[in-house]
Amino acid sequence: MNKSIYTLEFKLFFRNTSTWIGIIMLSFMGFAGLYFGKTFIKKQEQVIEKAASLQKQQTAQNISYFGKDIGLFFYHNKFSVANPPGTWAAFANGQRDVNPYLISVTMLGLEGQLYDTDLSNPLSLLLGKMDLSFVFIFLFPLVIIAFSYNLLSEQKESGIWPLLNAQIDNTFLIIWRKFLVRLIVIFLLAIVLMLVAAVYLKLPFDATFAVVLALILLYLTFWFAVSFVVISINKSSNFNASVLIAVWVLLCIVVPASLNLLLTKKYPVPEALQNVINQREGYHEKWDMDKSVTMIPFFKHYPELKKYPFPDAKTFSWYWYYGMQQMGDDAAVASRLLIEKKLASRQYFTEVVALFFPSIQMQLGVNVLAGTDLDSHLDFQQAIRKYHESVRLHFYPAIFTSAELKNTDIETYKLEKHTPQNVPAIWINLLSITTLTVILAGLGYFSLKRRI
Amino acid sequence: MSNIITTIAKQTFKAAFSTKATMALIILLGLSLCMATYVGWQNYKSQQNQRLHYKELVRAQWLAKPDKHPHRMAHYGYLAFREKHELSFFDFGIESFAGVSIFLEAHKQNTVNFSEASFANGMLRFGEISVAMVLQLLVPLLIFFLGYNSISAERESGTLKILLCQNVSWKQLLWGKTIGIISVCLSIFLPLILLTILLWASLSNWQINPDSGLRLLLLILCYSVYFFIVSAITVLVSAYHQSSRAALTTLLACWIFFMVIMPRVTQAIGDKIHPSPSKIEFANAISADISKQGDSHNPDDTHYASIKDSLLKAYHVDDVKKLPFNYGGYIMAEGEKISSKIYSNHQRLLNANFEEQNRITMLSGFLNPYLSLKNISMALTASDFKTFVDFQNQAEAYRYQLAQKMNKLQIDKMSNISPGKTDKPLAISRSNWAQQPDFNYKFTRLGTVLKSEMLALTSLLCWLMAVVVMIQCTARWVKTIPNQN
Repeated sequence: MNKSIYTLEFKLFFRNTSTWIGIIMLSFMGFAGLYFGKTFIKKQEQVIEKAASLQKQQTAQNISYFGKDIGLFFYHNKFSVANPPGTWAAFANGQRDVNPYLISVTMLGLEGQLYDTDLSNPLSLLLGKMDLSFVFIFLFPLVIIAFSYNLLSEQKESGIWPLLNAQIDNTFLIIWRKFLVRLIVIFLLAIVLMLVAAVYLKLPFDATFAVVLALILLYLTFWFAVSFVVISINKSSNFNASVLIAVWVLLCIVVPASLNLLLTKKYPVPEALQNVINQREGYHEKWDMDKSVTMIPFFKHYPELKKYPFPDAKTFSWYWYYGMQQMGDDAAVASRLLIEKKLASRQYFTEVVALFFPSIQMQLGVNVLAGTDLDSHLDFQQAIRKYHESVRLHFYPAIFTSAELKNTDIETYKLEKHTPQNVPAIWINLLSITTLTVILAGLGYFSLKRRI
Repeated sequence: MSNIITTIAKQTFKAAFSTKATMALIILLGLSLCMATYVGWQNYKSQQNQRLHYKELVRAQWLAKPDKHPHRMAHYGYLAFREKHELSFFDFGIESFAGVSIFLEAHKQNTVNFSEASFANGMLRFGEISVAMVLQLLVPLLIFFLGYNSISAERESGTLKILLCQNVSWKQLLWGKTIGIISVCLSIFLPLILLTILLWASLSNWQINPDSGLRLLLLILCYSVYFFIVSAITVLVSAYHQSSRAALTTLLACWIFFMVIMPRVTQAIGDKIHPSPSKIEFANAISADISKQGDSHNPDDTHYASIKDSLLKAYHVDDVKKLPFNYGGYIMAEGEKISSKIYSNHQRLLNANFEEQNRITMLSGFLNPYLSLKNISMALTASDFKTFVDFQNQAEAYRYQLAQKMNKLQIDKMSNISPGKTDKPLAISRSNWAQQPDFNYKFTRLGTVLKSEMLALTSLLCWLMAVVVMIQCTARWVKTIPNQN
C-alpha cells in the first residue's frame, strides 16, 4: 500500500516539466563545472611541469654567463617552489586563481619576492571560476526551492486540499511524502554528480570523499529545511517563492558580501605595504653605512657563519652584499608577523560568522578539504621561507669563501614541490550545519502541525 | 491618450506602495543601499589614505637618500601606488582583485602586488556589497517582484478584458505599467543619486571636477536605462504568461541565469578560447627575445661588441676607459632601452590576450544587459580592467624614465675609471635625486573611456530599442483571454 503511494508520488513529480528542467539544468551545470574546474587545474599542473624543465635550463644558462663569479651567479639564479594542486582542487578551485601556485625566488631578500603575484586577468578573478562546488553551493539550493515552494500551496490553490483533508487523517504525512520524494531525487542527483566527479577527476573513495559527500548532503538538507519552514507558514505559492528567493539572495549573496566588507574594514592590512618599505629600507640604507652595521647583527643571527673571514678592507664583497640582503628581511620581521596576526584574526572572524551561515560554511569547508583556501597558501609561503633559508645556508659558505661554482652541487637543485602537512578537520562545519538544519526542521514541523 | 498611460502608471505606483510585502522589500533595499554607500565611502577613504600615506613616505625616503652612485638609486627604485578614483566608492569593480602597489626598479619589471583578494579567504568569492552591486543585482529582483503579475494578474482576474474594452490599448497598458514600475524604482534611486552626489562632492572637497561630474551624470543615465529595460522586460514577460506564477518562475530563472551563471560561464569560455601564458612562460619568452637582440649580461654578445667597436672608432681611442663619458652607463642605457621595449611589447600582447578573454563577456552584453551595464559602470567609475592596464603602463613609463635618468647621470657625471677594490665608491650629490619627479597616476579622460566602451554602450542601446519595439508591437502577438483549460 505504502509503496504504491510513493510510486505514485514519484510519477506525479516526474510528470512535471519543471522537474526535468531542474534536473537537466543541474546535470548540465555540474558537468560544465567539472570541465572548467579540471581545465583550470590541469593548466596549473602543466605549468609546474614546464617550470621544472625551465629551471634546469636557466640554471645551465646562468652557469655559462656568470659561472666565474659565484656571488653574481646567485644574484641571478632562481629557485622555484611549486604548490601542486591536490586531487580535490579541481572540485573546488578556491583561491588558487588569486594566489600564486609557483614562486621563483633568488637568494636575495625574500620579503621582496614572496608576494609577487602570477599574471592574471583581474576581470576573470572578479567574476570567479566555474567548478562543481559552485554548482552545489549556489545552484542546488535554487532547484530545491523551485521543487518545493508550492508543495502545500499548490494543493490549496488548485482546490485539492479540502478533498485530501477529508479523506486522510494524517495530512502531515502527505506533505512529508512529497518532501521525501524531492529529497531523494536531489540526493540521488548529488550522489550521481559526485560519482561522475570521482571518475572524471580521479578522486579516491577515502575519508575525504565521505566527508565532502556528507557536507554536501547536509547542506542540501539545510535548504530543504529552509523550504519546509517557509511552506509551514501556509501562505500562497507566490509568497513562498518570494520569501525563499529572498532567503537565498541573503544567504548566498548579501550576507557574505556584507560580512566580507565588514571584515576588510575591521582588519585592514596596511602592514603589507609597510612590510615592503621596511624590507627595502632595511637593505638599501646599509649601502651608505659602516659595514659593521650589517655584519654585527648578521653574525648575531648566524653565529655559525662567523668562522668565514670577512674581507673588511674591500669596498664591495658578496659577503657584505648578502649580509645586507639578510638585513632587509630582518627589518621586515615585525611587520611580517603583524600581517600573519591580521590574517589569523580574519580567519577566526570568518570561522565564527560561518557557524551561522551554512553557505559560507560550505564554501570554507570544501576549500579547506581541497587545500585551496587561504591557510593552504600561507602554509605554502611558510614552506618557501624554509626552503629559501636552507638554500641560503647551504650556499653562503661557498659564496663567502669565493669558492668555485662547479664545486657546489648547484646542478642537482630541482624545482621544489610543496606537500601540505596537516590533515584538515572540518567536524565543526558539519556540526554547525547539522544543528541549524535540525533547528529549522523542528521549527517547520511544529509550525506545520499547528497550521494544518 | 497619454492621460490613460499616466492613470495606469499612477495606479501601479500606488498599488506597489500599498502592499506590505513590497514595502518591506523596498525598505530593505533602501537600507542596504544606504549601508553600501556608507561602507563604500569609508572603504574608499581608508584605502585611499593608506595609499597616500605610503606614497608620501616613499617620496620622502627617496629625497632623503645620501650622496651615492646613481645606479644604486636606480636599484633602490620607487614604489608606485595605484590611486583610487573618487567615484570608485560607487562601484568596486576589479579594485579588490587588482594589485595596489608596484616596485619600480632598473632592469626589472615587477607585478602589481597586494590586492585585497590575496588577503581574503573564501568569503570574498560571494561578491562585495557596493552601491553598484545593489543596483545591478538586487534592484532588478525588486522590479521582478513588483511587476511579475502586472498583466497576468489582470488576466487571471478577468479585468484585462474589461480594461481593453474600455478604450485602453495594449500599448498604453504596457507603457503605463512599465512607467509605474520604473517610478517606484526611481523613487528609491533618486534620493540615492542625491546622496551619492553629496558624498562625491565632499570627497573631492567640494571642488567639482567636470570630468567626474560628466562621468556621474552618464552613470545615472545608464542605470536609468537599465532599470527601464528590466521593467519593460518584466511587464512583457507578465503579458506573455497565462499565470502570475509562471511569469514569476520565468523571471527568477532569468535572473539566476543572466546574473549568477552567465558571467562566470562567459569568462570561463573566454579563458578557455584565449589561454594566457603563465608567469614563467611569459618571463622566459622575454629573456629569449632579449638574448636574441643582445644581452648585456653575456660578455660575448655581438650586439654590445659592435657598439663598443663603433664607439672606440668614433672617439679614436683604443680602450673604453679613455672615452669622454661613462661607458658602463652608456651600455646600461642601451640595455634598458632594448629590454624595456621587448618587455612592453610582451606586456601589450598579454593585455591584448586578457582583452580577448574579456571580449567574450563584453559581446555577451548583447544577450545580457546586466553584463553591458556592469562593464559601463566599472569603466565610468574607473574600476575596470582598462584603468588597471593604464596604471601598469604609466608605472612602466615612469620606471623606464627613472632608470634612464639615473643612467644619464652616470654617463654625464661619473668618472670612467672605476675605483680600486678598496677605494671609496664613486658618488654624486644627493641634490640630483630631487630632479626625479614623484609618480602620480593620471586617470584617463571620459572621452577615451567612452570610446573604449563603445561596444557595451551599443549593446545597452540595442536593448533599449528592442524593448521599446516589443512594447509597441506586442499587441499583435499577445493573447488577451486566458487559455480555457
